[in-house]
Amino acid sequence: MPKEVVVDALGEACPVPLIKTQKAMKTLEIGDVLILKIDHSCAMKNVPEWARKVGHNVELEEIGDCEWEVIIEKVVA
Amino acid sequence: MSETISEQTEITESKIPRRSSSRTTARKPKKSRVPLALALAIVIIALVAFGLYLATVDPRLSLFWLIGLCFGFILQRARFCFTASLRDPTLTGGTSLTKAVLIAFAITSVGFVAIQYNAYRMGLPIPGAGYILPISLATVIGGFLFGIGMVIGGGCGSGTLMRVGEGFHMNMLVLVFFIIGLLVGSYDHTWWQLNVIQGAPRVHLPDVFGWFGAITIQLIVIGALYILADRWESRRKSL
Repeated sequence: MPKEVVVDALGEACPVPLIKTQKAMKTLEIGDVLILKIDHSCAMKNVPEWARKVGHNVELEEIGDCEWEVIIEKVVA
Repeated sequence: MSETISEQTEITESKIPRRSSSRTTARKPKKSRVPLALALAIVIIALVAFGLYLATVDPRLSLFWLIGLCFGFILQRARFCFTASLRDPTLTGGTSLTKAVLIAFAITSVGFVAIQYNAYRMGLPIPGAGYILPISLATVIGGFLFGIGMVIGGGCGSGTLMRVGEGFHMNMLVLVFFIIGLLVGSYDHTWWQLNVIQGAPRVHLPDVFGWFGAITIQLIVIGALYILADRWESRRKSL
C-alpha cells in the first residue's frame, strides 16, 4: 500500500515550500504520494516546475481562495 | 511528457490516487465571486481616475503611474523574481528564473545602448548618466547584506511590494523592516560616501570599449552566464 504524506507549508514563503518538498520526496518510495499545502503563489509555480523536471506526476488543486494543494506522485527515485 | 507547461499548470481533476481522508477535510466551500468582481471594478476605476488626476499635475507622472502598474502586473502574473533568480541555483538547483532575468538584461542592454547612442550621436546629454554609480567596497558589502535580507525576507524591493499587493502577510512585515533598513542606510550614507565611496571609479562601458564593443561584450557575458545557468540545472538534476 503506497504511503500518503501531507506537508504543511501554509504561510511559508519561497523557497521553504520547495525545500520542504525536496526533503520529503527523498524519504518517499516510488508510488507514494505527497500532498503539499501552500498559500504562497510562487510555490504554486516553482514546486510543480521542479517536480515535473525531475519526472514525477504533479497535480495542482485550488482548495480555497489563495490556498492550494500540490499533489505529487513519486515516479523516479 | 507531451503536454505543454501551460496545460500542465491548469487545475484539473485528480488522476493521482488519493485517500479520501486527506481529501474531504481539505475542500472549502466556494464563495461567491461577485463581491470580488465589484471590488476589482472599483479599484480599476480608482487607478484610472488617479492616473488622470496625475496628468493635471504633470503628464510624466501619469506615464510613471502607468509603467509602475504594468510592471507590477507583469511581475505578479509572470512570477518573475529577482531573489529567486540568484537564490535558486544554489538552494534548489533551478535556474529558469536566472535565465529569465538574463534574457531581460540582454533585451534592456540593447534598448539602453540604442537610447544612449542616439543621444550621443545627436550631441545630447546621455540619458541615465546620473545613475552610473561608483564601484567600491560599498557595492560588495551592500550587495552581501541585501542578499541575506532578500533571501530571508523572501523578496527584493519589487518582489516585496508585489507580494504585499498580493496579500501575503509575511511580506507586509518585511516591508516595515525594509523601510526601517532604508532609513538606517540613508542615515549612514554620509559616512560611506566620505570613507568608502569617494574617489571610487565610475565605469561606463562605452567609454572603455566604444559603443559597439560595449554591447558586444555585455551580450557575450550574458550569453555565457545563460549557458552556465542552463548547464548548472541539468548537472544538478542528474545528481
